Amino acid sequence: MTSLGAPILPTSIAWGLLAAFSILWVALGWWLGRHNRTAEDHMLAGRNVGLALATATAMATWVTANTTMTAPQLALQLGVWGMLGYSLGALGLILFAPLARRIRELMPEGFTSGDFIRLRYGKFTWRVFLVVSLIYAFGWLVSMAMAGGVLINALAGIDYRVGMTVILTVCVIYTLLGGLRAVIGTDFIQTIIIIAGAAFIAWLTIDKVGFEAIHFNLLDERPELLNLLFPAAIMFLFNNLLFGVGEIFHSNVWWSRAFAFGRNVGFRAYLLGGLLWLPIPIVAGFIALATPALGINVPAADMVGPLVAAEVLGLTGAIVVFIVVFAALASSLDSLLAATSDLVTRDIYRGHIRPRASAQNQFHATKVIVVLLGLLTWLAASYRGEIPIVGSLAELLYFTGAFVASAIWPIVAGLYWRRANPAGAALSMILGSTLGLISYFAIGFYVAALVGAAVSLVVMAGSTWLWPRPFDWGRLARDEAPAGGSRA
Amino acid sequence: MQIFRALLPLLFCLPLAAGAQPAFDMPPERSTAGGFTLAWEAEEPVVLEQATGPDHGDTRILYQGGDTSTVISGLPDGEYRFRLRAVDADTWADEATVVVEHHSLARAFGFFAVGAVVFLGLIGAILRGRPRD
Repeated sequence: MTSLGAPILPTSIAWGLLAAFSILWVALGWWLGRHNRTAEDHMLAGRNVGLALATATAMATWVTANTTMTAPQLALQLGVWGMLGYSLGALGLILFAPLARRIRELMPEGFTSGDFIRLRYGKFTWRVFLVVSLIYAFGWLVSMAMAGGVLINALAGIDYRVGMTVILTVCVIYTLLGGLRAVIGTDFIQTIIIIAGAAFIAWLTIDKVGFEAIHFNLLDERPELLNLLFPAAIMFLFNNLLFGVGEIFHSNVWWSRAFAFGRNVGFRAYLLGGLLWLPIPIVAGFIALATPALGINVPAADMVGPLVAAEVLGLTGAIVVFIVVFAALASSLDSLLAATSDLVTRDIYRGHIRPRASAQNQFHATKVIVVLLGLLTWLAASYRGEIPIVGSLAELLYFTGAFVASAIWPIVAGLYWRRANPAGAALSMILGSTLGLISYFAIGFYVAALVGAAVSLVVMAGSTWLWPRPFDWGRLARDEAPAGGSRA
Repeated sequence: MQIFRALLPLLFCLPLAAGAQPAFDMPPERSTAGGFTLAWEAEEPVVLEQATGPDHGDTRILYQGGDTSTVISGLPDGEYRFRLRAVDADTWADEATVVVEHHSLARAFGFFAVGAVVFLGLIGAILRGRPRD
């Protein structure tokens, strides 16, 4: 069996690739963001992003470390259903298409998802939402930083902490320089790299190993991975779907894009982005099923993707995987850094600390917060494997699933139900997260989001039916307090 | 004298550490998803074997090399026995037994049904497309 003893990518090549792409992203970040003058430029790219860039950023941001590295992990742990179930995450993007249109209609001058919750449900629910949203954002940031370190360690043998630090630093720098405009611009290039690279790897894997060998060895060594009645995988299917929906519906990553895309662009961009994303996890996950056929030892489940690709494809494969995953990581890390710093700036800094902060204050605060988020992420990711929930990528990711899935119904009801109850919205997030977490520890990572979403539905629908609270939709546009629109 | 007393336990440990046998690091006892990670502590390459019976009659080598963990997955219900030794040793250094007992299909489809209801409810709420008055 192959082991980690001999990394396939020579260290010098790995450092060369790291340096080349780091320079490329940082230079692009500077170039794309050089005309940013206001917080609105920095945070929402001028609110006029066109369809091609909008589709690319939707798709590339959703192709994350989780897609390129957790999809193979889930294929290895939950088999065929794990791989197909992961691709159902596309429904999150597709279902967000009509929401993006509605968000733009209701809040033409909106900034963050937190703005919407505050205006729609009031301060208490807003604060609960911020806790949920920030726990998720931080979990996602840490999982991607971890993925960067794991990737570089698996392929090149470079120390996990060193690789993680380099990738995180690069993303912080170019997000800092260019804001959302840089994020969207680099996403476009990263999308092309991801699609071309993933297709190349899948084609070579099938060509070199063959379906028959993969199937025979799975049946012999890991038969449950081919079993369509694999219980944990069946439980996982809707869990993953609802996790994806929860991630997208609540997260400011997607709301900031809904505000940034030009009028009538959001619906088509999210729909197309979802359809383009659908096959990526299947392609990325499939290669993990070749593990038994190749006789590869997988020391940690989240390393399986890079290990298999590098083993099958040799040096060329290792280089392609390295570039694809680096692009996927960067496209998501930057988006999340930008969107989370916007949320913290608007909803924590301006909402709770300095309500009278000027546009210039917020512009500077956004940049300081990007750096602080980067530092906190680095600190948490440094303890991979030493903190129980920061064990593997999937464990960390699905831990946050309980939180985000509980926010699905407060968002949907807030956008479409005129009588949605604000207290019910807060309670649905609190109870959904609590029971989701209990199920995470009592049953498994594959049910946390499902339980969170189900509890959230029951509480939201029940409270609205029993204690309806009519709402004037016009308030969302009237009460928006523009911030950062003036020149700094 | 006090220094000697403090160092005495360490002196006893040194010969043990030098010749330490590979040993499993907190192996799981049970799995409901047919998979788990087996980790071990070893100073040199190891041989890891898997079998389903106490006599290791159907044994097969799962791993041989210098890594210190392996991910096992896709196992059907059953009792699985693992044993570990250094590559150049003749005797097995450590053993572990893991019972795989998958969730029942009734429970699995129960969660599936709940998920389907939530998902269909979501589609319904969004497809209405307009605020309800």
